[in-house]
Amino acid sequence: MLNQKSSEFVSVPLAKTSGWQILRYQFMQIWQVLAALLFIYAVFFILSPAFRNVDTLLSIFSQGAILAVLACGTTVVLISGGLDLSVGSIFAVVGVVVGVLIKEYELAYPLAILGALAAGTALGALNGVIQVVTKVPAFIVTLGGLTAYKGLAELLGSGKDLSRFPEGFQMLGSGYLAPICIMLGAALLTGLFLTKTRLGNHAFAIGGNEEVARLSGVKVARSRIYYYMIGGMFAATAAILEVSKLNFAQSSRGVSYELFAIAAVVIGGTSLFGGRGSVGKTIIGMLIMQTIIVGLAYLGVGTSFQRIAIGTIIILAVYWDVWRRQAR
Amino acid sequence: MEHLKSAKTILQARGLSKHYGGVVALDAVDLDLREGEVLAIVGDNGAGKSTLVKALTGAIAKTSGKVMIDGQEVRIDGPADAKAAGMETVYQDLALVNEISITKNMFLGREIVKDNLFGKLFGVLDFPKMDAKIQDLFQKLDIRIADIYRDAEAFSGGQRQAVALAKTVMFGKRIAILDEPTAALGVRESKMAMDLVCSLKDHGLSVIMITHNMQHVLNHCDRVIVMRLGKVAAVCDVADVDGDMLVGLITGAIEQKVG
Repeated sequence: MLNQKSSEFVSVPLAKTSGWQILRYQFMQIWQVLAALLFIYAVFFILSPAFRNVDTLLSIFSQGAILAVLACGTTVVLISGGLDLSVGSIFAVVGVVVGVLIKEYELAYPLAILGALAAGTALGALNGVIQVVTKVPAFIVTLGGLTAYKGLAELLGSGKDLSRFPEGFQMLGSGYLAPICIMLGAALLTGLFLTKTRLGNHAFAIGGNEEVARLSGVKVARSRIYYYMIGGMFAATAAILEVSKLNFAQSSRGVSYELFAIAAVVIGGTSLFGGRGSVGKTIIGMLIMQTIIVGLAYLGVGTSFQRIAIGTIIILAVYWDVWRRQAR
Repeated sequence: MEHLKSAKTILQARGLSKHYGGVVALDAVDLDLREGEVLAIVGDNGAGKSTLVKALTGAIAKTSGKVMIDGQEVRIDGPADAKAAGMETVYQDLALVNEISITKNMFLGREIVKDNLFGKLFGVLDFPKMDAKIQDLFQKLDIRIADIYRDAEAFSGGQRQAVALAKTVMFGKRIAILDEPTAALGVRESKMAMDLVCSLKDHGLSVIMITHNMQHVLNHCDRVIVMRLGKVAAVCDVADVDGDMLVGLITGAIEQKVG
């Protein structure tokens, strides 16, 4: 890439940028992780005969769907240079909230879903507001949130039987089709937000260089709060999906989901340091993770070794990001 | 230069001060910028040049002092206030975000949204319109960068500076403030950047420029403010000084000369 730097103003003749050029440019950004995914899939395909069927492929997608929805929000927060460790606990709160709204308050489930989304968004907003007002680092604020929201979920859900939901509600997370569609919908919305809107574009600018963004007149603090709200909203969406899929809600759900979401984002190649990334990468990152988990299971490797494998891959992915930054 | 002496004063700063605890970085500085001139700010490292510019443009909160435009006092509490007052600033090392494209950098904080309900509601950006505006402007300024969709870090120092200067033409209504526009540029790039700075005048901008290059002061500027230890040591017409005199004023070998 270095030889493309020109030492003069005059580098290339003035020409209109074509849509094709931009598409090719975007493909160049993503082909490496895509190739990694295909390679990993191919390895398991060769090693395990049981792995070679459409059902396995679909289950990779549908099992990853809930975490992928969560990771859409994490993508936005990480691109903006933030960090949200509390989304797993927001997930727990929202799961209980949607359960309580349907079972105890006997709300129609679409209304309960709206209420639960609002609750998740509000907790995300709280993360953002505390950071902006107190200037305490994101790591600490959301680590506090991780514990505090967990406690909130336990308070709301303790001693309650939140299960056996209406049939319409159960449809959302069950089977292959609905979760996969919701995942793709969430990814599409996030992608449009990040690439097409002003607020989405500001996430890259703030994550890239907060001071330049501030000096350029970007309302950094307000934007940050919005990004955490988006993170909370996607955590809520994922929680609703899971409650629907399991047909019960429990405050113990969501533990370490935030780490899996961050892992998917980072494996996909979105920078942990902000300013770069895309939701497409996150979806591919999630698929890589799920392929490894499912593939190792088919090979008879236990969950303990699966965890060790995923942990190693996370470190390698971040190492790659660090290495690329130093190479620049 | 005679016409400039009669030109009206567009920007005035009175008693600008900045204290960091007990340290006085900027000590009651006055500054006048006349319409259509290029005003240089020179001084040794730590003389307070950058602090002056930052206090003037709201990048840092000033301890005291006031800023007037056309004789009217304006409140400048942040970068957005300075922009609203018609001041466009290129900060040293803080001009562009490496991670985003030239188009996005040019319009950062002032994006054009699509002219329909959807666009206004969700802030959907109108990239074709922004691209077209940039291409028009680059053509006018003879900046030959075609691949404006690429991230800023892909470009050379000279190209990046050209983009930053073009931003002042695009948005600077009246005043462009430049913090060392040729720092870290090669000889050839430096000349091109200075040509651009000079052309800012033709686009109706009055210019304040921090520089370390005495040749640039003597060849391209109308007046010069010399800063020393957070104070204004001298204000001169460039026609009245030479390089040795400027260096003398900067180092303190020549005593105060205001006028």
